[in-house]
Amino acid sequence: MNIPSSSKTNLSVGILLVGSVSWALLGAGLQVLATLQLLVPSLAYLVPIPWIGYGHIAPLVSFLFTYGWIASGFLGVLLILIPRISGILSPSGRLLTGAAIVWQFAVLVGMAEILWSGSTGLISLPFSRSVTALFLLSYLILGSALSRGLGGSWKSGPLLPRLYLLGALLALPLGLGTAEVLLRGGLAPGALQIIMQFVWHSFLYHLWLTPLALVFLFQLLPALTGRPAGSLSLGLLSWIATIGFGGWVGNSLASEGPMPSWLQSAGVIATLLLGVAVLGNTLLLKPLLDGKWEECRRQVSLRFFAVGFWSYFASYAWLAFLALPGVRQTTTFTMVGQATQALLIFSFYGNVLAGAVYSLLPASRSIGWPSHPALTLHFWFTTLGAALIALAYALAGIFQGLALNDPGVPMSTISSYLRPFLVVALAGQLFWWLGQLAFSSIFFASLLKLFPSVAPVAIFPPDREATKQSLTPAHP
Amino acid sequence: MKSSHALILVFLLLLLTWAGQVALGFFQVGRMEPILDEETNYPKPPAASGLAQTGARVFASEGCLECHSLSARGPTGSADLTRGWGPRRSVPRDYLFREPALIGLSRMGSDLSNIGLRVPETKDLMLHLYNPRQRNPKSNCPPHPWLFDTRLAGTGIENEALPLPSRDWQQLLPTYKAKALVAYLQSLRTDYSLPEAPLK
Repeated sequence: MNIPSSSKTNLSVGILLVGSVSWALLGAGLQVLATLQLLVPSLAYLVPIPWIGYGHIAPLVSFLFTYGWIASGFLGVLLILIPRISGILSPSGRLLTGAAIVWQFAVLVGMAEILWSGSTGLISLPFSRSVTALFLLSYLILGSALSRGLGGSWKSGPLLPRLYLLGALLALPLGLGTAEVLLRGGLAPGALQIIMQFVWHSFLYHLWLTPLALVFLFQLLPALTGRPAGSLSLGLLSWIATIGFGGWVGNSLASEGPMPSWLQSAGVIATLLLGVAVLGNTLLLKPLLDGKWEECRRQVSLRFFAVGFWSYFASYAWLAFLALPGVRQTTTFTMVGQATQALLIFSFYGNVLAGAVYSLLPASRSIGWPSHPALTLHFWFTTLGAALIALAYALAGIFQGLALNDPGVPMSTISSYLRPFLVVALAGQLFWWLGQLAFSSIFFASLLKLFPSVAPVAIFPPDREATKQSLTPAHP
Repeated sequence: MKSSHALILVFLLLLLTWAGQVALGFFQVGRMEPILDEETNYPKPPAASGLAQTGARVFASEGCLECHSLSARGPTGSADLTRGWGPRRSVPRDYLFREPALIGLSRMGSDLSNIGLRVPETKDLMLHLYNPRQRNPKSNCPPHPWLFDTRLAGTGIENEALPLPSRDWQQLLPTYKAKALVAYLQSLRTDYSLPEAPLK
């Protein structure tokens, strides 16, 4: 069998992960600036510069976190993981390196565009079509390499990670490509553009990033805990529900307005049914973590995966709650949107990404992590920060929604209601930024091999044959 | 499970998701046409001018959507109409000539789906863009001075100049972007009756 040479993907993995860490740091700093501007509107009067105004920074932060930090990071760790599942990788390392560079270049160009010219205003598509072309070009190469990693024979090895990967690999080009053609190709008139924006938003988060995160949970949690995931039938059912309903979730974000009512109802039903799928996955993954608290304390990657897994459950339970008719009418156009983003991006994707980096990078680069306290700092600061951000925005959104529905409350009063929550969110963002700063220093120091120690957890040893041996089937 | 079966299943699920929303959405709202007003023979909703269409892009690029929505809801389950944000709820046909069609995600500021009705005067909108606290000292909206040029007044103040006290014979003149943005804001109004959303 053609066992992959890690040196072929090393550079592309390095580029994607260095990019991911850098974009996260930059995004976190800008996020603090954006919240400060909301908290102290007079800042905009003191420094009236368009490109650092809230209208430019807020969409940029979302862009950097989604495409820069999470997407780049997921692609990087997938390039380590997938060849080790299947033993197959794209023959050309240079092509992958080029694709990784193009992805980072696309993020850079997108950032420059949003800063200088502003966002396009389209939901989850704030950049121009040239940036889309760069993303698609890069993804064509990286995705092809990853799809080769799915392998021809599915008889051995865990099935669910491959299925989630397959769904995710197809979802991005289909969603982004059609969104681009319909939204900017003049083929979607009027309100159809709004429908298409919600479809793309759903594809991006619930059909691309969520399945990618589930690839890591279903592949690495069994390996880390030494326990196989339970019923395959339940797993398959949850997978079908995730891929089948994930693309409809965005419609539940709208309440009345320009969306046909049946589409909104379909969005609500899909979100609730997706909640059932998430419950199925929770039933599969929870037993893996039962009684593993001591191991979570010792293994930093398992700790991140555990929080990521519970955040997965919390994010979709929260989405299902928001989709309920009475709640949806109250919370549409409020800060609960930011709470959902915080839960998904910081808590779910972010923790899964950190767990994957901690467990997989040592295998790829033969590096070690520093002492436990430094890693613990990263864990607690980012976890506490993410929790504060999500909680503050969730409460702010509920108060905002209730106040907006009371015509006697003027808009300026609503803004003053939100201030205490914004202060808490700002504190959370600072904590998260510090945690990310700690991780960045650990990460870069490890890349430069400043730490001679062995990694706390390395699922796949650097040795090629050992790599092959470590792939035990997770499902009976 | 064979990989080819999984591939077909995923493809069908994604296709169903996509077609269910986009294709059905196209048949329902993508083929909508304006209603012709029997008295005036003008279409409803009215087509936006070229300047207003440019203004829609300025509106998006300035990030106004981060704080303002463009969709009035109600009358039940929402206080939008009671707040005076519109004479009726917004419906898909209202977005027929909007390019890009935008809805917004947050309401840190008020809904703007009828700002053209609520603040019809060009000067008022220009003043708000230049300094929102000029009209409302409690406003949280950031100023947009970069949308205005400062020029020597010459022998007289130009008609377009903002009615603000100036220094050294300077006058504040709106740039093309400011004019486009104001034209777009003025075009945002739903004071026409539609079969699916009549005015009461």
